[in-house]
Formats: sequence, C-alpha cells, structure tokens
Amino acid sequence: MGKLLDTVAGVRTAEPKRVDSKLTALAIASVVVLIGATLVQVSFGAFPLTLQEAWSTVFDPTVLFSQEVWNAFLLGGEIPDWFSRRQLIVWNIRLPRILVGILVGANLAVSGAIFQIVTRNELASPYILGVSDGAGLVVLLTLTTFSGYLPFMPILAALGGGAAFLLVYAIAWKNGTSPVRLVLAGVVVGTIFGSVQRALFFFIDNIAVVMSAQTWLSGSLMGTDWAQVRIALPFTVLALGLAFVVTQELDVLLLGEDTADSLGMPVEKVRFAVAGIAIISTAAAIAVAGLIGFVGLIVPHMVRNIIGSDSKRLLIGCLFLGPALLVGADIGARLALSPVQLPVGIITGIVGGPYFLYLMRKKENLGEV
Amino acid sequence: MSDQQPSTSKQTRATTQRQNGAADNVLADDTAISPAEFSGTDLVVGYPGNDEPVIDGESVTVSPGEVTALIGPNGSGKSTLLKGLADKITPESGTVLLDGDVIDSLGSKELARKLGILSQQNVAPAGISVEDLVERGRYPYCGFFESLTDDDRAAVEEAIELAGVEHLRDREVGSLSGGQKQLVWIAMALAQNTDVVLLDEPTTFLDPHHQLEVMEIVEALRDENNITVVVVLHDIVQAARHADYIVALRDGSVYDCGPPEQIITEQLLAEVFEIEAVVTETERGLQVEPLEPINEPVSRDEEGTG
Repeated sequence: MGKLLDTVAGVRTAEPKRVDSKLTALAIASVVVLIGATLVQVSFGAFPLTLQEAWSTVFDPTVLFSQEVWNAFLLGGEIPDWFSRRQLIVWNIRLPRILVGILVGANLAVSGAIFQIVTRNELASPYILGVSDGAGLVVLLTLTTFSGYLPFMPILAALGGGAAFLLVYAIAWKNGTSPVRLVLAGVVVGTIFGSVQRALFFFIDNIAVVMSAQTWLSGSLMGTDWAQVRIALPFTVLALGLAFVVTQELDVLLLGEDTADSLGMPVEKVRFAVAGIAIISTAAAIAVAGLIGFVGLIVPHMVRNIIGSDSKRLLIGCLFLGPALLVGADIGARLALSPVQLPVGIITGIVGGPYFLYLMRKKENLGEV
Repeated sequence: MSDQQPSTSKQTRATTQRQNGAADNVLADDTAISPAEFSGTDLVVGYPGNDEPVIDGESVTVSPGEVTALIGPNGSGKSTLLKGLADKITPESGTVLLDGDVIDSLGSKELARKLGILSQQNVAPAGISVEDLVERGRYPYCGFFESLTDDDRAAVEEAIELAGVEHLRDREVGSLSGGQKQLVWIAMALAQNTDVVLLDEPTTFLDPHHQLEVMEIVEALRDENNITVVVVLHDIVQAARHADYIVALRDGSVYDCGPPEQIITEQLLAEVFEIEAVVTETERGLQVEPLEPINEPVSRDEEGTG
C-alpha cells in the first residue's frame, strides 16, 4: 500500500515536470529556428554578407548601445549618419523585418488560440471567423482613401475586426452558438468583406497603390521597417499582456458555457472581453503585415497537440512557435524565388492548407476543443 | 426502518474513511454550523423563445441537510426547475432564497461559493488531467493573478477523495469511462465547497456500479458534510431508496412532495408516470416493481390539445 502511494506520489510530481519539459523543448526549438532564420535573413539577399559579417553587425556594440540609434528606431528619430552601408542594410532593412515577423507571428498565434477557446472550436482563427477580413477592409480603406489616418491603423483595424466578429456572432447566434454555425457565419461574413475589398480596387486609379494593396492582401512582410515595429509593438504588448492576465478565465471558458456559469463566471461578458483582446492582437498583426492566413489556425493547434490545453502553457507555446513559424516562412517568401519576393501569406497558405487537410483526415471529431 | 438506512451507510462510509487514513475534513469544517436553507417560491421558469413557461408558479422548499429528489416523467420540468433554482435560467418571476438571501442579490462568484450545480452533460477540454479539472472548481475563490492557495489545494484533495477518484487523478479525462467521467465532474462541483449542491440526472447513462457510487457520494455529502443536496433522478427506485424527501413533478407543476414512503405510492406512479407498478415495503426500504404502461386515451387527448 505504502509502495503504491509512493508510486502515485512519484507519478504526480513527475507529471507537471514532463509537461513543462515539453514546453521548454518547444520553446528552445522555436528559439533555435528563430536564430537560424535570423542569421539566414540577415546574411542573404541582394547585398550578401558572410555569416560572420552578419553576426558581427547584429552584435555590433556601437549600434547596440547607442541611445541615438534606438531613439531613431523606436521613437522615429533620424537615422545617425555614421551608419555604414552594411549597418544600414542589417539594422534598418533586414532586422526590422524579422522583428515585425516576430510580432506578427506571436499576435496571430495567440489570437488564434484565444478565438479557439472562446468559440470552443478548433477550427476557429481570426481568418476563418471573419475578423481578418473585417480588419482588412478597414486597413485597405485607410491605405487607399484615408491615408491621413495611417498612424492609427491598428485601432481602426481593431474596430473593423471587432465589427466583423460581432456580425459573425449575431448571425451564428440562435439560443447559443455552435462551432459549425460560427465557422459558417465567419466564412459568409469573410466572403462579403473580401468582395468589398476587391471591389475597392476598381476605384483606385493609381497602379502603384493597387500593387501595394494587392501585396498587402496576400499578407507580406516586404518593405516593413522600424515604422511598422513602432505601430505594432504597443498594441502587441498590450494585447499579449492582457491575454496572460485572463488565462484562468480561458481555462474555465474551455469547460463550456454551463460549467463556467455554474462556477460563477459571467460568461457573455468574459467571452466578449477576451475576444476583444484577441481582436486587438489580430489587428496589430494585420495593420503591419496584411492578411496572413493559417498561422492563427495551425500554431495553436500544433502547440495544443504537444503540451495540452492548459491556457497559460498554450499561450506561452504560441508565443514561441508563432514567431518561429512566421519568420521561418518569410525566408521562403524572400529567398526561395530570389530575386522575386513572394508575400509570406502565400507560403503560410501553401504549407498551412495541407496541414489543415491532414488534421481533417487524422482526427475524427475535429471541431470542439 | 427508513431512519436506519442512512445511519448504516454513514457507518460504512466512516469505516472506509478510516481505512483510507483520511485527513482532516475540510468540507465538513465549514459547514459544521447548520445546513443551508434553500427554497423557491412562486417560480415561473421558461426558455427564451417559448411563450409558455415550463414551470408556472411553483414553490419548492428543500429540507436543509437532506437529500431531496426531483422526480417526474420526461418533459415534466425537473431539470428546468433545477436550473431555475440555481438561477442558471433566471426565473421570470418568483424568488429563490438561499440561507435567507435572495439569490439574485448575490454576485455570480459569491453564489458559486454557496451553491454548486452540475449539469447533465459536460465535455472536458482535450488533454486535461483529472486533477486539473477538479482544480477548476476553485475558480469562484480565485481573484485575478491568484494561484491556488493551500486552502484550495486542501479542498481539491478533499473533493477528489470524496468522489473516490484518487486513482484517476493523473489520467486524462477524455480517456475515462462515462461513469468515471461523471465522478470526476462531481469532484469538480464538490471542490466548489458549497453548502447546497444541485445535481441534474447524475446517474442517467451510468452502469449500476457507478450509479451506486454516485448515490453513495450524495449520501456522504449529507451525512458527513451536512450539505443540502437536490438531485434530479430518472429512476424512481433510486429516489425511493436514497432520498429523504421527494418532489414529484407532472407537466410542470408539483404533483406532491414529502418523504418517500408517503410519496412513492402505486397511485402516484399511475398518475404521474402512467405506469402500473407494485410498491412494497421491504427491510431494504421501498421496492418498486414496474409492471406495464397505462394508456389512457382520454387523458392523452387532453394533453395533446393542451
């Protein structure tokens, strides 16, 4: 008996460690991929550098510890004129693109995870729930018509995404919602918003604006620099910070409406507040990188498969895997068909689509989380 | 004779506890004072979208510290009444009193610390362990950022032990049998550490072994922890055997209520459940033997048009 209890105790203490070791492994693997991708992205391109040159430029103390430089990057000041050509390319073109990729990947993954929990639906993602298309429409309008509002883009995108989500929820609502109804409503609303987006093209005279809007619709990190970092960073910090505040709520929401209610949670309020966080997060990503599909769908999915559905661990996992996946995909987008650059959204679509199909074949009851 | 029944089960329960070397009883400490009063008056409960309320102006008083069973045929409003009592469906009118407080006046978390309800069907998230699921029952006690305190841990341990799922604690809930899952969900509701526990058909769909386990837990709640239990039961035999007090419902109204010996009669079974049955008093309590359904064309027609 005593022996049995010991074994039980042993198993009990071992369990959380094993789970956390999976999370640690996931985090380390992601960081390795990220560092590798960073080195590749920094070295290769129209202005090739050796790995060593790239490395030494990235860790150049004269840049790293210069207040003037960070002032330029983060607050939008003038780039110092002592920058060499190499420093300029690494620090002002290649690194910010990676940083934007990290922010976008983290936002898409975390918001996807939250949407999947809120709707208790494994198929949910900002893309499928119409949020992306809603935010996208607003961004496109801003890009083409109201360019004066560019600095407020994430806020505007969040409003558009929020409106789309409300619409999807209202359409799907019939004494409660179900995973399938939400996905169907999301597809419908997304299609409508997408059509309006494409319709907008016919009213644009300037071919250059059409090209940039087209790139943006496909989801691209092309041409992103510190300005995009400055736009996305505050909203990312806000949304991700809030997401980690509500992990307990997410855990309880995951038990279903009835149980959450009987545990004393005001379910509707919490659901909307939490969805609001995810919308801000999505908006921050869309505002700087456009419509990048599948990341918000497959990253939470992969993480859940590895470490289970505990919300805090899930979000931490997403925080690592999302950036790794997106920055990795961006290598393909930038270098695969060099000198032609593809929008990264095309790569995530090409890779993500088959993964999604694989899931459909493999899991019998895909749907509820 | 019926008085003897609970005390024997109390003894067996106490013995098993001693064998397990049970630690101090957290649930019992809190509720040692006096069992919670719980009653609903003139309740009108319905579902949005339906014009006719399911329960139309009924009053129910639950005897404190005892097991009250709601029985009735399908569609008689048992679950609806239970949800109305728990404020899960807010009654259109009427009041529910919990220990002297009107239930609406309590905050949602405050209510969840006093009253627990387990609904009929529950789906656990993929990959969650039994222990983690039971820990969710402590949500009403946690504020933002707060992790589980020692009190929370003790309550979780107590609930796991009371529900008899110690041996399952590291298993994934999804991998358990239906009966085991039900025990785990009950453990989660128990971790809420409430004075009143409402259970919606906890034994339906379970095999006899798990049905008996569930009813044993219900009796333990009453005997050891002084908890007021209201349970919707599908099985008349079970209600007759395990409940102290029975509320029989028919077509959304309370047909009769009282102790089982008084309520479970051949006449009630004919009028409420429309079955012919033989009820005999044996040394193991009331025995109900259903014989055949009663088909009364006249009353059917009335229901059909009504």
